Amino acid sequence: MKALILVGGFGTRLRPLTLSVPKPLVDFGNKPMILHQIEALKEVGVTEVVLAINYQPEVMLNFLKDFENKLDIKITCSQETEPLGTAGPLALAREKLIDGSGDPFFVLNSDVISEYPFAQLIKFHKSHGGEATIMVTKVDEPSKYGVVVMEEGTGKVERFVEKPKIFVGNKINAGIYLLNPSVLDRIQLKPTSIEKEVFPKIADERKLYAMVLPGFWMDIGQPRDYITGLRLYLDSLRKKASVKLASGPHILGNVLIHESAVIGEGCLIGPDVSIGPGCVVEAGVRLSRCTVMRGVRIKKHACISSSIIGWHSTVGQWARVENMTILGEDVHVCDEIYSNGGVVLPHKEIKSSILKPEIVM
Amino acid sequence: MGSSEERVVAVIMVGGPTKGTRFRPLSLNVPKPLFPLAGQPMVHHPISACRNIPNLVQIYLIGFYEEREFALYVSSISHELRVPVRYLREDKPHGSAGGLYSFRDHIMEESPSHIVLLNCDVCCSFPLEAMLGAHKSYGGIGTMLVIKVSAESASQFGELVADLETKELLHYTEKPETFVSNLINCGVYIFTPEIFSAIEDVFKQRKERANLRRVSSFEALLSATKALPADFVRLDQDILSPLAGKKQLYTFETLDFWEQIKTPGMSLRCSGLYLSQYRHTSPQLLASGDGTKKATITGDVYIHPSAKVHPSAKIGPNVSISANARIGAGVRLISCIILDDVEIMENAVVIHSIVGWKSTIGKWSRVQGEGDYNAKLGITILGEAVDVEDEVVVINSVVLPNKTLTVSVQEEIIL
Repeated sequence: MKALILVGGFGTRLRPLTLSVPKPLVDFGNKPMILHQIEALKEVGVTEVVLAINYQPEVMLNFLKDFENKLDIKITCSQETEPLGTAGPLALAREKLIDGSGDPFFVLNSDVISEYPFAQLIKFHKSHGGEATIMVTKVDEPSKYGVVVMEEGTGKVERFVEKPKIFVGNKINAGIYLLNPSVLDRIQLKPTSIEKEVFPKIADERKLYAMVLPGFWMDIGQPRDYITGLRLYLDSLRKKASVKLASGPHILGNVLIHESAVIGEGCLIGPDVSIGPGCVVEAGVRLSRCTVMRGVRIKKHACISSSIIGWHSTVGQWARVENMTILGEDVHVCDEIYSNGGVVLPHKEIKSSILKPEIVM
Repeated sequence: MGSSEERVVAVIMVGGPTKGTRFRPLSLNVPKPLFPLAGQPMVHHPISACRNIPNLVQIYLIGFYEEREFALYVSSISHELRVPVRYLREDKPHGSAGGLYSFRDHIMEESPSHIVLLNCDVCCSFPLEAMLGAHKSYGGIGTMLVIKVSAESASQFGELVADLETKELLHYTEKPETFVSNLINCGVYIFTPEIFSAIEDVFKQRKERANLRRVSSFEALLSATKALPADFVRLDQDILSPLAGKKQLYTFETLDFWEQIKTPGMSLRCSGLYLSQYRHTSPQLLASGDGTKKATITGDVYIHPSAKVHPSAKIGPNVSISANARIGAGVRLISCIILDDVEIMENAVVIHSIVGWKSTIGKWSRVQGEGDYNAKLGITILGEAVDVEDEVVVINSVVLPNKTLTVSVQEEIIL
């Protein structure tokens, strides 16, 4: 089976992190974002993954070679020369997605994390015999999104309603699809929206079905949702009784610590923290609801919450970093500094406190 | 000075990528020395001034950017000037004197009698010929270009005291806390090769001091806190300051303009200074037009020959338009730098702003800065490939590359 992952563009919402690497390679839970999806696809027997990108293929390709070898799965890129929307890239990658076997192929939105219940999706798709299945997820505020109105029992999609003003349903498109090759015949190579143009037509023909996504779902394309997403992800690891989660007297709640990270005495870590490879957390540090990326050093007595600390940065002694502070790559927060929501671009030194949310260029 | 053949080598310090975070977001796309002012890369202006030096044999650019960033520029400017221009890459920052010293073999290759040292991010008239004449008459090992500034702003720079008659440098101090003098160091120097011995002496002294230090562990503690590495030698503090008052260093005062180009706001101001200088040195570079066949031009304006400007547009003062830009009907541009491949649609207005490469400005939209070149959000800067939709207003904001603005913004940084 094949899969297409819509990677898209510049990842500007995840700046400053995406000033250093392309968005799919930004680490989430100590793994590049896209690796979570590729691993889940491999598990259900996908043999080739096509990445639809329009930016920095060279940087991506180096990493992908590495994943290809480790996972024994083929990974290729399909590069847009002009923005093709959410459906156009499928037409562009047509040759790669159709292999004559008639098997359906997956399409995923790269910003989405979930439990990726692909085996259940395949089963449901085969059982209803329709042309396309989309996964939907329940949200509290459906009018912010495109709502999918579907028949309760069968899951057959009746219609899509963009940002409905009155309540029509609370399920929205989760960005995970399983499509028969015939769907490609409906898409021309031009900027096209899959939600606004392609799916409504298939729904009209009563051939589109929706499945409610079990487990968690998050679009982690921006920092606030990234941090919430980490909580959901670690929670799902806990439910699976994963051995990856850390434990001990200095651990609170769900915490992921890479085996090469070093944690000092007297720390209190968690809940909802991930600490990447090669990190050094010195004595007396408090970390909660934060991501600490590869190679970061957190010095003694520092306190970090609700923040993202970018690769190879350092946080000084007694520093307090909180409230959606995002440090880009190689940022050094001096001793005793306070950062309240500072968003700091790569290669900076923070020598004076940031008292209210501010971008530091 | 006894040497029958005069040969001059010019050295321009261009810095490197991690040093220049103040020049963001423009430095995210282009090394600061190559950012265009008045239609030419920043480094082009001091290089061009070197043309006026008689007996110039070589120009070196020293910095720690990757070689390939400068390769194209260096080969085309060598060709144009018919003087070899080379880029020498430092493996890491050594300080202004350290950098000069580490490439002394290259610099002394042609046995120059004089070495002109310039900083790339200095904007001035570079009166090098006159300065060289003065240097020869003083007979010292170095002459620095100096300028009088206001007493309040002097403390940002290196302040110095010079003898009113002999012009000798009597005293020098970098960024002093109390007032010393309103005469400051412009970052333009002329040296004789003896400067290398002076730098070498400082290295030797440092080594000797380091040997002594091994004796006391307390001293070792002291030196461990924020000490500069032994091979980081700053020209002003470490070399020139100790030589003041010893009849070795002299000053040459300029009465023309002088600015440091540290931020994008200042680059807009300096672009204007160079444009006004063109009126005297190269008036053929400035545009003209009265709205009949060509657009109305007011004040100093540079338009690249490949740019297209609609005749109903009004451009200037202080506008620089780069290659392949397209300026539509009824557009008004005041005090701005429009970079390559920008498209500005009908009736848009751009004031006190820098519009990045390949950006588009929609119809009737307004992109404006207050015009305070020193404030953090004093001018509006659009990075590469920013699209401002029709009728949108952008005021005193900085927009990073590849963004689309669909609603108006004020006083914001958009990542």
